[in-house]
Amino acid sequence: MDVSTNQVLSVLDEVLGLGGRSASFGRDTRLLGAIPELDSTAVVWLLARLEEHFGIVIDDDTDGLTFATGGNLADFVGAKLAA
Amino acid sequence: MNKSRRMVALQARAFAAAGTDVLLLDLLGCGDSSGDFADADWERWIDDLLTACRWLQARSSGALWLWGLRAGCLLAADAARQLDTRCDFLFWQPTPSGKTVLQQFLRLKLAGEMLAGAGKPTMENLRRQLAAGAAMDIAGYQMSAALALALERSTLAPPLAPGRLEWIELSNRTGDELLPASLPVLERWRAAGFVARAHALRGPAFWQTTEIEEAPGLLSASVAAVLQSPA
Repeated sequence: MDVSTNQVLSVLDEVLGLGGRSASFGRDTRLLGAIPELDSTAVVWLLARLEEHFGIVIDDDTDGLTFATGGNLADFVGAKLAA
Repeated sequence: MNKSRRMVALQARAFAAAGTDVLLLDLLGCGDSSGDFADADWERWIDDLLTACRWLQARSSGALWLWGLRAGCLLAADAARQLDTRCDFLFWQPTPSGKTVLQQFLRLKLAGEMLAGAGKPTMENLRRQLAAGAAMDIAGYQMSAALALALERSTLAPPLAPGRLEWIELSNRTGDELLPASLPVLERWRAAGFVARAHALRGPAFWQTTEIEEAPGLLSASVAAVLQSPA
């Protein structure tokens, strides 16, 4: 399954309650450290929601880089789906 | 289940007003039922569910529906395998993978342990503890290893006797589509002979919101889904 950056960002939008702000985000948009709503608690919720949305399992294989940009996050999810 | 009680009670009343008999149950160790949550396990919960079915069928006629919310759908599908009658299913925001549900509990525990300064535990460590039979304290609940492992094995597989499936998801995402993860599961149920309808509605994830929230659209949609047979 092809995962679009838009799909991943819409999950982010919902989890963080951004109210559609993510519509202007793209692969190069900085996430962790740039979006105040994305704190460590939010990361936990985001991982949970990504797992549920895409039917993937995320163990201890994330780090700060995973959430650095929209593109990084979309690629991470894409790799999980391809596995 | 705590955050969901309001929606579930409202829905039960809506079904009753439409002429349907509804039994809401608290499983062993949950809500008002007896027993310790620490003693809960999947098999005993299935027994509870089967007992509930028999109780209801002795008092009410008509089609039997099993109505699940989230991981309750996993339990319903597993229990249905042991029913001697065919039944239909109403699933609210089903979690098709017990493994994913357990993952959220483990992650909660990890977050709790990190906050308590307990070094850097890993998912791997937690799974090893469970496999060794150790119960786990997660956000104040004692989850037995047996329950965790049974949950992990549960996959929302369709029971043998096909019937109807009404699958309802709620979200406030733009574009009201079903979760990608749901599509292959629906396919599996249809391939097993089920007449399955899936609905993606607008509404809050009331089972996990910080404040108790209601999803009014879900009430009428659920009554319609159950009482209006597919063409």
